[in-house]
Amino acid sequence: MTKIIKPIVSIVIVFVLMAFQGGDVLCNSKELKEKAKMALEPYKYDSSELTRILYKAKETVKEVEVPLFIGEKYRIVFELEALPKQVEVQIYNKDKDSKNRKLLFSSKDMGDKKEFQFEVSKVRHVYVDYAIPQTETGSYSGCAVFMVGYK
Amino acid sequence: MKVNMNTKFLVIPLIAISLAFVSCGGNSEGAKSKESASVSDTVLVSDTVSLSTDDNEVSYNLPSALQIAYVFKKSGAGFVPSLLNDKESTNKYNTNNYKRAVNFGIYSADLAYCLFNKKYQESKEYLKACKNMGASLGLNSAFESDNMAQRFDKNIANEDSVIKIVSSVQLKTDVMFEQNKQKHVTVIAFTGAWTESMYIALEVYAKDKNKKVLGSLLEQLLLSETVVKALKSHQASEPEMPTLISAVENINTQFNAITDVKSAIEKDEEMDFNAMSISDRELKTISESVKSLRTSMIN
Repeated sequence: MTKIIKPIVSIVIVFVLMAFQGGDVLCNSKELKEKAKMALEPYKYDSSELTRILYKAKETVKEVEVPLFIGEKYRIVFELEALPKQVEVQIYNKDKDSKNRKLLFSSKDMGDKKEFQFEVSKVRHVYVDYAIPQTETGSYSGCAVFMVGYK
Repeated sequence: MKVNMNTKFLVIPLIAISLAFVSCGGNSEGAKSKESASVSDTVLVSDTVSLSTDDNEVSYNLPSALQIAYVFKKSGAGFVPSLLNDKESTNKYNTNNYKRAVNFGIYSADLAYCLFNKKYQESKEYLKACKNMGASLGLNSAFESDNMAQRFDKNIANEDSVIKIVSSVQLKTDVMFEQNKQKHVTVIAFTGAWTESMYIALEVYAKDKNKKVLGSLLEQLLLSETVVKALKSHQASEPEMPTLISAVENINTQFNAITDVKSAIEKDEEMDFNAMSISDRELKTISESVKSLRTSMIN
């Protein structure tokens, strides 16, 4: 009986240790970006950003600055399917340290939707904020992708 | 061979612990820069990227060389072939990671400039230069997949199609840099592309004095602040970074010192570059700095 239990316990320990590897989760960047590219049409591909999201015991915000050209029309496509828990995407006209920044977009009303888009023109910058909710059960992680296209 | 069960019981968790340490330690910036010079296509087979645990940094999503050239072309800027970097110099830049990355960006900007000016034969030659520079950065498969060269040849007279083909290569290179943990290479390459575009815009404006080209030029100069921030977020990645950051910072300071720009910053107003003026002296100062930076990149 001991001969069977010992290897099983060993395997369980291996899995437990792997689960505590500081949130080292693998994200398929190529697959996520290929999906985003399909939703970008008919806009031309400009750039894309993969952001690693780590859920912690307190709420955190990760920000990506996106410079744009004022005379152009843009579409920004988000792919959030590699996130184990939904984050709120907010787009602002100024960075998170600015006092009077304006919220241009929020994914709050979109429920659990994993793919959505935002169109913008006549701005020189947008700031994409991922509001990452707190988690009480250990640390886990995922990644979010957005892609920018111009017309 | 007979192995004691107690030994097995200890060995399996020990292997797991070792794996945990190895996987946590493989992410250092120094290691990244050493890896990147010798990255091979076998490394690129991996489709996944591992997670970094730093959650406080702000990141920067920089535009493509194609988009900069598109905005510039829309302003009515003409084509001056003598401004392009020598397409035969790719071997000269295969000396270190910084040179490879920055000149990959410069050739990307030249390719985009040719494309939007419908110079398709030149585009083909600069695509080849990008491919050669890209190969030294481990990007072979981005340029070789989906019969890219053949499709480019087949569609050479169709602007929309060739731009789509080049955009698709751009997406592939973006993904590969990400997978290979070479995000800093993307930023250095963008700085090369931005410098080349600025150089072309300044020279074209000096020749034609087209007000719209000046507006587009100022629009590109405004990007210098974001370029500095993006470079600073990778400042330990290559030994050339402090010099590069200081050169772009200098251009940013000169741009912010333009009387009309300074006034708009002080009043916290949106800048209207079509209505702004710039003195010959202000422009000359910026032009000299851009030329000097470009010269340091291509020599």
